[in-house]
Order: sequence, then C-alpha cells, then structure tokens
Amino acid sequence: MSAAHFRQWLLPAVLIAALAALPFLGNAYLVTFTFTILIAYILGQSWDWVSGEMGYVNLGHYCFYGVGAYVFSIALVAHYPALFAMLVAAAITILIAVAVAVPLFRLHGDYFAFATLALLPLAEILAFNLTSITNGGDGIVLPIQSVLKASYLIALGVCVLAFFSTVWINSIRFGYALKSIRNDEEVAEVLGVRILPIKIKVLALSAAFASLAGAIQSWQMSYIDPPTVFGLNVALIPIAMVLLGGSGLRWGPLVGVIVLACIQQWLLVNIQSLQATVYGAIILLIGRFMPGGILRAPWLRNSRWFGALSQEHHEYIVEEKSGNKASTADTLPLPAIQVNRSKPLLECENLRMEFGGNVAVDNVNLKIMEGEIVGLIGPNGSGKTTLFNCISRVFDPTAGRIRLAGKDLSELRRDEIARLGVGRTHQIPRPFNDLTVQENIAIPLMFHDTKLSSQQAFLQAREFVAYAELEHRLTSRADSLSLQEKKALEFARALACKPKLLLVDEVASGLASSEVMRFVEHIRHVRDRYGITVIWVEHIFSALAQVVDRVVVLEQGAVIADGTLNEVVTNERVLESYLGGTVARAH
Amino acid sequence: MLELKNIAVDHGKLRALWDVSLRVERGELVALLGANGAGKSTTLGAIVGLYPLSEGSLVYAGAPLKNHTTAATVAAGIALVPEGRHLFPAMSVFENLAMGAYTQQARAGLEENMEKMFTLFPILKQKQKQNAGELSGGQQQQVAIGRALMSLPKLLLLDEPFIGVAPKIIAEIIETLRSIAEGGVTMLLVEQNVHRALDFSARAYVVENGRTVLEGERDALLNDPGFSNKFLGLD
Amino acid sequence: MTVDVIIQVLIGGVLLGGVYALVAFGLSLIYGIVRILNFAHGTLLAVSGVVASLIYASYHLHPVFIALLLAAATFVFGYLFYMALLHPLGRRNHFESTVGTVLVTVGALLMLSDITAVMAGATQRNIQLDFEAFEIGAIVVSSAQVKILLGITGLMLAIHLLLTRTWFGRALRAVTENRVGALICGVNSTRLKALTFAFGSTTVAIAGVLYAISFPVSPYMGFGLTVKAFTIVVVGGVGNLRGALLAGILLGVAESMTSLLWKPEWAPALSMILMLLILVAKPQGFGKKSA
Repeated sequence: MSAAHFRQWLLPAVLIAALAALPFLGNAYLVTFTFTILIAYILGQSWDWVSGEMGYVNLGHYCFYGVGAYVFSIALVAHYPALFAMLVAAAITILIAVAVAVPLFRLHGDYFAFATLALLPLAEILAFNLTSITNGGDGIVLPIQSVLKASYLIALGVCVLAFFSTVWINSIRFGYALKSIRNDEEVAEVLGVRILPIKIKVLALSAAFASLAGAIQSWQMSYIDPPTVFGLNVALIPIAMVLLGGSGLRWGPLVGVIVLACIQQWLLVNIQSLQATVYGAIILLIGRFMPGGILRAPWLRNSRWFGALSQEHHEYIVEEKSGNKASTADTLPLPAIQVNRSKPLLECENLRMEFGGNVAVDNVNLKIMEGEIVGLIGPNGSGKTTLFNCISRVFDPTAGRIRLAGKDLSELRRDEIARLGVGRTHQIPRPFNDLTVQENIAIPLMFHDTKLSSQQAFLQAREFVAYAELEHRLTSRADSLSLQEKKALEFARALACKPKLLLVDEVASGLASSEVMRFVEHIRHVRDRYGITVIWVEHIFSALAQVVDRVVVLEQGAVIADGTLNEVVTNERVLESYLGGTVARAH
Repeated sequence: MLELKNIAVDHGKLRALWDVSLRVERGELVALLGANGAGKSTTLGAIVGLYPLSEGSLVYAGAPLKNHTTAATVAAGIALVPEGRHLFPAMSVFENLAMGAYTQQARAGLEENMEKMFTLFPILKQKQKQNAGELSGGQQQQVAIGRALMSLPKLLLLDEPFIGVAPKIIAEIIETLRSIAEGGVTMLLVEQNVHRALDFSARAYVVENGRTVLEGERDALLNDPGFSNKFLGLD
Repeated sequence: MTVDVIIQVLIGGVLLGGVYALVAFGLSLIYGIVRILNFAHGTLLAVSGVVASLIYASYHLHPVFIALLLAAATFVFGYLFYMALLHPLGRRNHFESTVGTVLVTVGALLMLSDITAVMAGATQRNIQLDFEAFEIGAIVVSSAQVKILLGITGLMLAIHLLLTRTWFGRALRAVTENRVGALICGVNSTRLKALTFAFGSTTVAIAGVLYAISFPVSPYMGFGLTVKAFTIVVVGGVGNLRGALLAGILLGVAESMTSLLWKPEWAPALSMILMLLILVAKPQGFGKKSA
C-alpha cells in the first residue's frame, strides 16, 4: 500500500474506530444521539441511491423502514435471534420492493413522486388494520433487553457498509447506469443500457438498507406502532436531511444528516414548544436559499477547508497512456467490419408512423446496403428524425417492418437494438449533462461489451475522446461544452456504441465550414476504415456532396426521390418542394 | 421601425445567436431566410421578448424597449405567429382569437376586432365554436394569424407559417397577408421556401449559424448567381 | 342492507367526494400552471378547518362569513408565499428548483401544523352546527349535509364562472394548454402564477370550512389529504377540472361504500389502492393530455 493510499484511509479508519469505541466510553445520551445519526444516515444514503443517483424521487422510501421494523419485531417476538430477524426483515422488504418496482417504474417524474408518496399513508393504514399480524394501533412491544451497545455497533457496521457501497457503486458500471438514467433515460437506453433490471436492483438495494435501519432502530426502541414507523413527520425527515446536505454528492447525505440531527437535538433541549415549527422553518429556509444543499453552496465550494467535501462522484483516469495518442481514426478500438456492398443492412418495408391523425412517416420503403453512405434530406417536418426514432425504437411504428441485417427489429428492446449495432446522434445534442466527457463516452462502451470493466471502458474512451479532439475537455462536465464540442461528443459517443449502422442527425448545422469539413472526413473515415454504414440527415448540401453514395428525399413522411445527389438535385419535384424554384433558375 | 443591432442570444449555456442585425422600415415586408438551425426562430423570439438579449440592442419605434418581456412587446404592438402555431387546442376558435386580445388596450375592441377577423378569414366565423385542435392545418394557421392580429399589432412576425398547409390555402393566406399589409401592418416573415419568400417580400436577410450574412432587395438577390449557392451552402 | 341505506351512504360519499374534488381543484390548477408539488396543500385545509371551528365555537359567526374571511386571508397569504418563497426558485436549474420547492412546502407543512396544534390543541374538532334533518322517503338528510352540498355547488359554480367568463380564467386555461402560446398573447407569467397559487389555496381553505361542518378536523390530517388530492389530480388529469370532479366523487363514494359494506378502517386504504392501480394501469390518468 502506497503512502498516499494509507493516508487516504487512515482518517476514516480512525473515525470509525472512535465511533466504535463510543458505547464503551461515552455516556448513554451521546451514544443514543450518535445512534440516531447512524440510522438517519443509513436511511438517507439508501434513499439517495434511487433519488440522487438515479433521479427518481422516491417519497415513499420510509415504507421500507417501516416494513423492516415490523418484520423484525414480529420475528423477534417469535423468539428468533436478533441478527436472524434482521436478515429476514431485509429479505422480505427486498421482495416487496421488487414486486412494487415493476409497476411503479412505469411512472415518470412527478407521477412517480406522487405514487410513492401515496404508499406512506397506505402502509400506515395497513399497519393499523392488519391487527392479526401487526397488532394494530397497540403496536408491538419487544422483549426488554439492554441492547444499546449491540444495536449501536450493528448500526455502525451497516452505516460503514452503506458509505462504502456508495463509493463502490459510483465506480462500477451499475453506478453509471444510474447516472445515465438520471440525465436522460431515453438516450441511455438507445446507447445500450438495459433500464428495468437496473431500477429493480437499485430499489431492492435501497429497500434492504432502509429495512435494516428500521429493524435496528426498533430493536433499540423496544416498541413500534404505526405512526412511529410510518408517520409523516418522521418519513420526510431523512429525505430533507439528504437534500439539505446535497443529494448525489459523496458527502452530501452525511453532512445533511449530521447538521439536521444536531439542530433537532438542540431544539429538543432548548425550546419547549414549537419545536417542529423551528425545524420546519429551517427546512424552509434551506429550500429557499440553498436548495442544492449546503455542499453545493458557492461559498462552501470555494472555501479552502470544506471545498473537498463538495466533490461530485466522478471517475477519471488521468495517467498518460503509453505510446502516442494519434488523433486519426486508425487508432479507434472499433472492429473493422467486412463490407458486402450487395447485402442490405437496413430494410424498411412499408414503414408507417402515425401520431393521432398526423402521419409522420408515410409508407416508406428503403434499402440501405452495407458500406453505403446515404444522405437523407427533406424540408422541416418531413419525417427524417421520426424515421430515425423508428429505427432505434424510440417510437413504435404504426405499421410496417424494419430489418437490420435480416433481423426484425419489432421484437427487440431499444438497448438490444443498440447492441445489435445501431448508433445515433440527435439533432440537438443530448449529452449526459452532469457527467464528464470521458464518462459520457465510457457508458456506451461499458454496456456494449459487458466483459469490459469500467476501468477498461474509461481507458478506451480516451481514444474516442482523442479522435473527437476533445482531450482538453476530458474531465469537463458535458453541460459546460460549446455547441461544436457537444456535437463532437455526440458523434464520438455514437461511435462508442461500436455500430454497424450509424444514424447521424444534422451534426453539421450551426458549425463553421472548417468544422463541417472535419465531420465530413470523420464520416468518410468510419465507413472506409471500419465498414460502418451511415445514414446522414443534413441540410448542408456541400457537405453531403463530398461523401454520399446516394440521397433519399422525404416530403411529408414519404419518399419522393432516391438516387445519386446529382439526380436528386436536378429532380423537379424535389426542387419545388424543398429548395424553391429559385435554385432551378439560378442553375 | 424595428432595428436589431448585433444581438446575441443564449439558450442556457449555448449561444444560439452570435451577431444578428436587421432593419425593418414601417410598412415594409421583409423576409428572413436561412437553413434549419440558422437562428431565424430565435431571432423572432428575441424580438418579441421570449428570449432575453445577451448582447446588442433592439430599437422599436425609435426607442429601445423599456421592458423586454413578451407582455410588454405585445402591448407595444409586436405580435408573433410562432412556428408550430401554439394554439390552445381544447379551447374554441373564438377563445383562441380572444386570447390574442389579452392586453388591456386590445380588450376594449374585442367585439369589433373579432368581426374583422371573421371578414378576413370567413371559415373561422363558421367554425368559431369548434375546438381549435379539431381544425385542419390550414385553418389552424389562419387562427394563429388571426390571434396575432387581435392585439392590433403594428409589426407582425411570422415564423414559417406555411408548414403543413395545403398549397391552395397557402395562396389564400398570402393574399390575406397582403391585404393586411396594405392596411399598414409591417411584416417580418421567416420562410424556408426561398421562392415563396421573395415573391412576398421586397427585401430579405439571410441568417447562417446565428449571424446575418446577406441582405438585399428581391431582384438583386434573385439575379445574384452566388445567392442560392451561399444560402444552400453549395459553395 | 336496504337500498335506502345504500343511497344514504352514497349521498354522504358524493358530498365527501365533492369536498375532495375542491381540494384537488386547487392542486390541479397549481400543479398545472405553476408546476409545483405543494406538500402543504392539504394542511391548508386542516388549518382552515381548525380555525373555522375555533371561530365558530367562540363567536358563532355564520359559516359563510367564516369561509369568506378565511378565503381572503388565504388568498393574501398564498400570493405572498408564492412570490417570496417559491417564485425565486424558478430561476435556478431544474434539480434545485424541484428540490427547493419540496423543502419549502414541507417546511411550511411542518410549521403550519405545529403552530395550529399549539394554538388549538391536537385533538379533533369540527363546526358543531345544530342538527336538523329532512326526510325524503326513508332517507334522512341532515341540514349540515345540505349546507355542504350548497357550499360545494356554489364554489364549483364560482370556479366555473371564473374560468369561463373572466380574462383571468381564460388565461389560466390557455397557459395549461400551451405555455408559449399564452406568453405570446401577452400573459404575464409571474403574476398569473402567483394569482393561481393564491386562488388554488383559497379554494382549499373554503373546502376546509365545508369539510369541518360534517367531518372532524385536526392539525395533522393534512398530509393524508394531500396524498388523496394528488392522486385525484393525476387520475382526473392535470388541469382537467371535470376529471378531478369525477375522480373526487369516485373516491368519496368508494370510501363511503367501503365503510358501509366492509370495514370503516379500510375505507381510506382501499381508495388509495384503487387510485394506485388506476395510475399504474394508465400512467397519464384519464384526462386530456396538455398540448
């Protein structure tokens, strides 16, 4: 272990040891207070995995706490040993979490928050009414034992586990799946991330820890009843703590829990009545003035002492790669596809896409051969992006069939289509905004090839970043990039899907002509060197003219021309609808 | 009447317009041309106050606008027919038009102006109780234009008003616009179809990548062999 | 279980549902236009109900006066609350503004219920009107119920008129349908949002008075009610008032029928389960989707 490594772990080790020694040295008051902080942290951190990391604000998180408390108490009363009861509590809560995850995650955004919110009073009523199991309003009284030390130590253990789990999750593929969902779920899927299992796993993990918190705390309290474990006042507080500290940050939940717990304790001691009012006022003021959390406040970020606490979870490998970093396409870790020019790669048969009464794609028949570069043009609203969305399955076509290398795409999920070999860019770039350039590109690499570790993916990503000439922005957040940089990132990220078919949606608009030429070269290279077939939607004809083998013209969703660029540009109908008669006259 | 001097507009951290300058005199019909993503819609949005100006100045009727919000610009006499129309689909045609007269001054003349709209667009009188969402594309476009006119604008901005409209209706709408113009309304038209745009307007600007790159009278532009090339990027 | 009893209970359920619908109205407008999750919404009803009960017990003012008084107070409070605490958050990025509104409204919830509990005690109370009953066949209807019915109808009529006959109402509907479209018509977004927040809060305050006439109120019941209101709004469709009315009545009737036909303690739970099932089956609710 290197010296730096040792130093890094020394402080936490000392802290944990000190905390572990507390019940043997300190007074019961201090131990109890620290205990509540430990429990709150477990609750808060486990909440943050689903909410801060994945972006789904689960307002019913406390239900898992309550279920854990009840299952544990019932098992304990039935004379099972405490540790066993805790494990049973966790197991059953996980099962419940998995069961509700599937229907619940069909909801998004605010609807998800609403639905999870409703789970709390529902759980409370269930606890009140299922008296045969829960003893109803009387609650469950646990055998009186002096368990302060034991429960404290177990709580400390779970706490430490939760913290290290957070650090670990953020460095592996699973964590990046969470973060990509948080930023843009649809794009994540189109890049190859399989969404549903990730959501279920994180909810199960979150539930497990929350249930343990419930089990351990009820052991210590020796009594539970419905309002104690499901009541509102308690339910939203761990959430407020995490938000107060800074959701999604490594130290956010811990800081928030400590600060609010101290405030709560101070209030209990010093203010006789209206404690909840003062508490509420503090939460309100934080929300009004520091909603990103204390750790995101500018004055703290910039301070010398505390700035390090504000770090976001970012992985990057800063060591130099040995050998020279060439910026040509030759060094990209892409497979060189053998191209058979007479074999069709993409076939659209009678493809139709309707939204309500509006026909966006109208009986399109298209055959793209391997190794072709095909331009797709048409006036605004002619269905080009919709066609792309049908191919990558963002939309379900109303009728017709799409085949990729002979395989019917209608049976496949979006992430399966991505892994099959479809990569795409978007008209308006959609990077994962709060992730760095390197992370953005590493994500499709990780999910395309599951044998790749996240570390290896990061290394490979550097080559794509070099290719996109974004090395100087390697560790910058994507939302701080200029438009041109975002488009380069978008393109590189699509390539990182290791596609057979690359769908490029207006990557050149808004750029200077030299930048446009660079993209033209990239497109030519990826086809010549790696055999990638390209469909390119573009308005800038001079760019298309350099590389396309063929041009397809759409108007109001239908194909009105399909031939070489020259044929199309002199086609009367195309000129009339798209360019206006002026151009014909000027030629 | 309207002058934009070197304006810049940002969408969040992204600069959408870098340097746009244009001038529209009272009573003129001017076209704004350019490829997709060039910044035409953003320019109109900036004029009407949807986007704040990061740089540059906007002078209207001889003085810079005191308060650059949409409410203030509409009250000052600038109205926008936005791309995609942005009608209120579950509200009746009548109510859609009425909303155009939301500003205090326009409310007073609601009845009168409504009648004028119905004269200009007879089909709307017929469909006034129908929900706007049920109308055809061409009819919806007429509602959108009518709604903008209800605020009694002196300057009318139109953003690609002919998308999804049948050619016959386009011709009708153009005629109506001409008669409105004769009534003294100044117009700035964003249009992708160069031919149609220059048919309608006497003068045009070309916007590319957030900058105004070309300006000229109709005939000068049409006879310029480099014009279409520059516009389409065929150089 | 005779038909008369069922009808009796149904009437109670419809009235309860009507009050729920009123609470949900306010929330629907606030969420649809101001786009804010107001956690303290139901607590406003609780506070209003408790205060109304106190005033009635002390001064015996007519409930209509009490309602008007509370309506005016809540309107002002709501407007100021929005402008001072919620509007400034809109300038921040999406994550911070969402989180900020959660914290602000949760804080308000805690403050409101605690202050009310300290002022009035945490026990339940209501407006004890004198009991009179009317008989229609074998069905007994209390005067309190009639008053609630009148109150609900009156308020809904007022809301309907406001929405359809005034410029404010028209602007509200327009903003729900198409934000950009409303903006370019010259609608002052900030003022409209503040007025909507105030108006939505006022509706809930009046609903609180109505609720307290027949049902017990306590300072801490707000949250459960907020949850019900949320689910009603989502099922009925955001911004869709007719949908909210239907959903509210559905909920009220479901609760009452459950109490009657099964066990009363299950009534609140079953309705929640019902709503959750509907939400999952149809994630967009039954209302019209906004443009």
